[in-house]
Amino acid sequence: MKKSNTQKINLGLFVIISTLILVSALYFIGNRQNLFGKTFRIHVVFNNVIGLQLGNNVRYSGINVGTVKKITMINDTTICVDMLIEDKILKHLKKNAVATIGSDGLVGSMIINITPNKGTSKQLIDGDTISSYSRISTDDMLTTLNNTNENAAILTADLLKITTAINRGEGTLGLLINDTEMASDFKQTILHLKTASSGASKTIDELNKIIASIKYDKSVAAVLLSDSIYADKMKSVITNLEKSSIEIDTVLTNINEVVLGIQKGKGSLNYMINDTILIKDIDDIVKNIKEGSIRLNEDLEALKHNIFFRGYFKKLEKQKKERKK
Amino acid sequence: MKKSLHISDKIKSFLIEIGELSFFANRFFKEAFVKPFEFKELLRQCYYMGNRSLLLVGVTGFILGLVFTLQSRPTLIEFGAESWMPSMVSISIIREIGPVVIALICAGRIGSGIGAELGSMRVTEQIDAMEVSGTNPFKYLVVTRIMAATLMLPLLIIFGDTIALFGSAVVEYLKGEVSFQLYFNKVFNALEFSDLIPAIIKSVFFGFAIGLVGCFKGYNCKKGTVGVGEASNSAVVYTSMLLFIIDFIAVFISDIFFEI
Repeated sequence: MKKSNTQKINLGLFVIISTLILVSALYFIGNRQNLFGKTFRIHVVFNNVIGLQLGNNVRYSGINVGTVKKITMINDTTICVDMLIEDKILKHLKKNAVATIGSDGLVGSMIINITPNKGTSKQLIDGDTISSYSRISTDDMLTTLNNTNENAAILTADLLKITTAINRGEGTLGLLINDTEMASDFKQTILHLKTASSGASKTIDELNKIIASIKYDKSVAAVLLSDSIYADKMKSVITNLEKSSIEIDTVLTNINEVVLGIQKGKGSLNYMINDTILIKDIDDIVKNIKEGSIRLNEDLEALKHNIFFRGYFKKLEKQKKERKK
Repeated sequence: MKKSLHISDKIKSFLIEIGELSFFANRFFKEAFVKPFEFKELLRQCYYMGNRSLLLVGVTGFILGLVFTLQSRPTLIEFGAESWMPSMVSISIIREIGPVVIALICAGRIGSGIGAELGSMRVTEQIDAMEVSGTNPFKYLVVTRIMAATLMLPLLIIFGDTIALFGSAVVEYLKGEVSFQLYFNKVFNALEFSDLIPAIIKSVFFGFAIGLVGCFKGYNCKKGTVGVGEASNSAVVYTSMLLFIIDFIAVFISDIFFEI
């Protein structure tokens, strides 16, 4: 009887332990799929879900926060994915968060990565839809890689042609590499360049010395740039110059007006400037005066020799001589 | 001519045996849900099949997990996928290897035990004596054993799987410096209901098959000590074959329902 009771206890223990293991395994698996505990549902729309399946993980900033609950095809280019997210994460999820479909490792199952976006936004609520970003798929990557390979093949073929031509000594590069004379010329050029550069260096040193020897403090430029009294004086000079220029401008305006008045008016000056006959008349008068003065000189010479005026002219000569003495 | 007759006889006897087995199963279902229920005998059988098999299942499970992990490690390391070890081992053990290996061991231990026990009872006319005394030997001997095997095998498989995972974790801890927490965290991350539930349902059928074939062979044992040996031996052979057939069907069905 005692043995039977021990058997029953042992059997009971075995059954309980095994059942507990089964229940805990079911709990852990279920808990990972968010079957227990509070959750909320959010949606995201993709063009291509790249093999995403029900029950795949949802990660927020790298932490597992939920699972994919439902995948619905809305139309030929739109697929709506429902996700169950743990309630405790809700306070961290903002409306501007972005969802992408990624792979868990190189050969792992697909996952949805939710990443927070920059800037402030409102907190997500149950049933909200967040924006998605379709990452480049492996097929697209392989297509791009194929194009790159084709381009690389063309490039290598071209490169082969170029290197063959260079080896043959064709073209400038081929000449540069294969021509020994050019190499020696090049060497000499470099030598000359070296000499020239050393000369230039010396010249620059000398120039530096000259510049250093200039007493900057006592130069006009330094005085102009650093002395505040001179600066004030310069200011006043410039101000005076400005005033003078204004006055000159005024004077010039007045002169212009006068000149215009002369040109347009009917005064004697306008008559003298514009009348060409008057100039001719004046010219004739001057000629007549010249002739008259010549004749008057002749007449005066005749008077000197006249009997009535001879004594007067002699008296004048005597007075001159006395003054000289 | 003689040879062809021999083959046809074999096929004929095989078909007869399947038919008899089907009638035997039918009788079990008829008797199992009709009073009186032999609870005490059921509990005794559960104890003998469950508790007495624990050590065997535990040791086998531990070695299974240990060896499986040790053998898989070099290949996974070669591919740089060492971190996938807990996922791979857990899914393999829970889905397939654990249930099948433990069921085969139980077929050897429980199936042969039932076959030998019932066979010797038949040979020594104890079953006939029970019939004469008014006790229903089928209900007392067969129903309790089949039910005990059906109930205990899933529990033994759960226990064995756990020990196997523990064995795998020990290897990972010693060789890969992976903590037990990280190991079991990865295990539960990898496991899905679709891995666990079909395995448990499958193990119920495994238990039923072990009990049914063992009881059938023992109950219908031929006279003589040779008959007992044959009953015990054929119980193990037929059960093992039946286990693989059930496993094959279970994989097909779980593939349809759980989209593995």
